[in-house]
Amino acid sequence: MWSDILNHSAAYESAVLTALDAGSYPFSLRCRPQWDNTAQTLRLNLPAGIVLEPGPACLLWHRHDARLWNLHSFAVRGTLARDETGWYVQPEQFIPGVGVGGWRSYVRFLVNGRRTTRRYLAQRNLARPKLDWDEFGQTNTTSSPGFGIGPVRQGGTG
Amino acid sequence: MLLDAIPDQTLAIPESVTAVFHNFFTCEMTTIGKTGRPITWPLMPLYWPQRGQFVLFTSIGLPQKAFNVRQDPRVSLLFSDATGSELTDPPIVLVQGEAQVSDEIISLFSGMEPELRDLLKVQASKMLARQPAMKLYMKNGLTRYLMDWYFMRLAITVSPRRIHWWDAGDYARLPQVQEVNHVV
Repeated sequence: MWSDILNHSAAYESAVLTALDAGSYPFSLRCRPQWDNTAQTLRLNLPAGIVLEPGPACLLWHRHDARLWNLHSFAVRGTLARDETGWYVQPEQFIPGVGVGGWRSYVRFLVNGRRTTRRYLAQRNLARPKLDWDEFGQTNTTSSPGFGIGPVRQGGTG
Repeated sequence: MLLDAIPDQTLAIPESVTAVFHNFFTCEMTTIGKTGRPITWPLMPLYWPQRGQFVLFTSIGLPQKAFNVRQDPRVSLLFSDATGSELTDPPIVLVQGEAQVSDEIISLFSGMEPELRDLLKVQASKMLARQPAMKLYMKNGLTRYLMDWYFMRLAITVSPRRIHWWDAGDYARLPQVQEVNHVV
């Protein structure tokens, strides 16, 4: 897992850290995690005035270009903690996202998506919805309306 | 070209923050999982100014976000990546709030309120202008077959509870915070 984090985060300047605040709401901010290879933790320099609760946390790295193309993302789940040096995240799970894992990952994304869709509909006795592709074309909106571009989920997280 | 700002009827926030909601392609949405652990995804948000709410969509083939929200409605949306927005030095904005998930499955544009549908079409048109290849892609029978599930979606509606923003994305400054007491 540590090598995955190193390999994939090297190209990023920053990540999004999320932990819970005092009211147990998620609180996210941009940060620049620093690798601690010895401890295999991600060191964080959090801005003053931001109060996060030590405990469960998530780091997300993602990028896209100006056309919302060339997507890449992955996440790390772990624990946010603090010691005498400062804040850090102890990684516990690497979650590959879009653009991680090559064509095999894309095939898995399609197969898993179709399978999960079938299961979702079957469990609720719902017919498979028909998509009106013609309307889609006529409205000139053939891109991804409300496209979720989150990590291709592999494994039972969330 | 930036989207025309639709007058915000519910949130007392500056124009610079509204511009972020209208023009950022993505936000980082966090839900809380079964074990109380946050998980964050990049998503395309749709701001609904007439209601002061946000709508995000997730395929029923990727339903974990919806399952999480049904179990724990507390979510956050961070707007921190301005790529493609054409905004100069926008604020970083964090929205904390509660979310609800529709039971109804939305297929492409069907099954949603006209006002929301119009907003979605504006967003999609903007996207199409930047991604002309997508039109060809979605006309292809094979890709339609392989990806149709992606367009069978659940709508996640987020009602803000608190909005924080850091002018010019500068964390050295203290954030401004707007508590939201009333959402339509």
